[in-house]
Amino acid sequence: MYELLLSTAIALAVVLAFITVAAMFFVYAERKVAGWIQHRVGPNRTGGFAGWAQSIADSIKLLLKEDLILRGADRRLFQLAPAVVMASAFALFVVLPFGPGLIVADVDLGVFLILAIASVTTIGVIMAGWGSYNKWSVYGAMREAAQVASYEIPLGLSLMPPILYFGTFSLKAATEAQTGSFGMGWYLFSDAFWIAIPSFLLFFVAALAENKRAPFDLPEAESELVAGFHTEYSGIRFSFFFLEEYAAMFVFSAVGAALWLGGWNFPGIHLLEPGSTLLLVLATASFVLKAFFLVFIMMWVRWTVPRLRIDQVMTLGYKYLTPLSMAMALIAAGWEYVKHLGAQA
Amino acid sequence: MTLPKAPTEPKPPRGYFGNITDTVVSTAKGMALTFRYLFRKKVTVQYPEVRPQLDERYRGIHYLEQELCINCDKCAKACPVDCIEMDATRHGKELEWHKFQLDYQKCMFCELCVYPCPKDCIHMGTEYSMVSEDRSDFVKDLLSWTGLTEEQQERIEAAEAAKAAKLAAKKKAAEEAAKKEPAEGEAGAEDPQA
Repeated sequence: MYELLLSTAIALAVVLAFITVAAMFFVYAERKVAGWIQHRVGPNRTGGFAGWAQSIADSIKLLLKEDLILRGADRRLFQLAPAVVMASAFALFVVLPFGPGLIVADVDLGVFLILAIASVTTIGVIMAGWGSYNKWSVYGAMREAAQVASYEIPLGLSLMPPILYFGTFSLKAATEAQTGSFGMGWYLFSDAFWIAIPSFLLFFVAALAENKRAPFDLPEAESELVAGFHTEYSGIRFSFFFLEEYAAMFVFSAVGAALWLGGWNFPGIHLLEPGSTLLLVLATASFVLKAFFLVFIMMWVRWTVPRLRIDQVMTLGYKYLTPLSMAMALIAAGWEYVKHLGAQA
Repeated sequence: MTLPKAPTEPKPPRGYFGNITDTVVSTAKGMALTFRYLFRKKVTVQYPEVRPQLDERYRGIHYLEQELCINCDKCAKACPVDCIEMDATRHGKELEWHKFQLDYQKCMFCELCVYPCPKDCIHMGTEYSMVSEDRSDFVKDLLSWTGLTEEQQERIEAAEAAKAAKLAAKKKAAEEAAKKEPAEGEAGAEDPQA
């Protein structure tokens, strides 16, 4: 019992530290990418070399800010919302297979769990918007509700092709299935690549919308709604929403990396002795780098594509992504059936 | 009269799959563009360390070619906001400057003071940054003048000595003439008596 508690505490501490450091890095990276795309240099003063300490300075500033609660706000909802949002983002990390053996809990229904927990974030956002006593916040919350409800379907359906291909909901099992002969048996390069590529694109777009990242950042929509659902938040409560956004970005990128880009597998993994420290380090690095690459693409998209209108978001979700991802799921199932028939014959 | 045609005709509506293709292609094009932009040369000027390259005709803080200036006050008269004040004492051909002040709280950098100058000695410079916590710092003296130089002093002394000598010579000449005149007058006066 004691050991279980201790190991859980250690795992939680590691995950929390990882989220915080990764979010700080992502904020810095986002500002740099934004700068470079706009022919600027981005933060380059704080800390001397290339402004590396900018995020640290920002987080200290955020922590020192006054924690404001409006008089008309629903205090309980207002205070609970950042905690709900943060907790759901935190729980998502439990099932991510960072490396062989480096997984907090290998759940059989890992992908399903991620989808389920990610939806809890929405409840937190709606709580925040409703509890804020602010028109903009309510608008943001309503948009979040509409958007996430409509993109949940394509997101889940676009995850079906890899699940059908590997025959498992577990991210760890899916990753292990992608080792192949020399670590390149990735789903994207498998015999079903012609299903994998479009389904990956569908997943990526749906994940952007699910994470309310640009061009689907309507719940925030700073040009229309000030800051949307977190308009009235300040200090550490605001930083929770911030952390959640980047943590969720990382989680969905990691799911994409685990299911399509081979997870921790890298070319040459078969040469290393299983269970060795070198393998563990390289595999973890490979997984994290793949996820970071997808996060970079999310940033790249954000600074390329302008924000959609809410009706365009709905059109894209219901008229395009949902039927297409459904078709991809059916095609994937059909392909598996054809392979099954071929194996029997 | 015919109205000019719209530069592009509106595209005919595309079908379902046409929309998908359009979206994918245009997004890919946009992404390619921003990816190229990622590696472009940055345009940011790192301001306090690097100053922007200014045009030669930039109208910044004035500078004065003091040796040329003749204290004619024309620039001050031309100034629409009366921000120029000058004062100097003339010693023969030499000027002993007291002030040549511009009040940059008033100055609007219109360059009208530059045109009337007969000696072409006041110019608009390229220095533009004026930061201070004290308003009096914005009243700037354009004089680089730190009192008369020895050379000028000598020239002034020489000129004054020459002037004094000239005066003395004139006086002497006048005196001599005056001495002569009464003698002549006496002589003249004696004539009628004679």
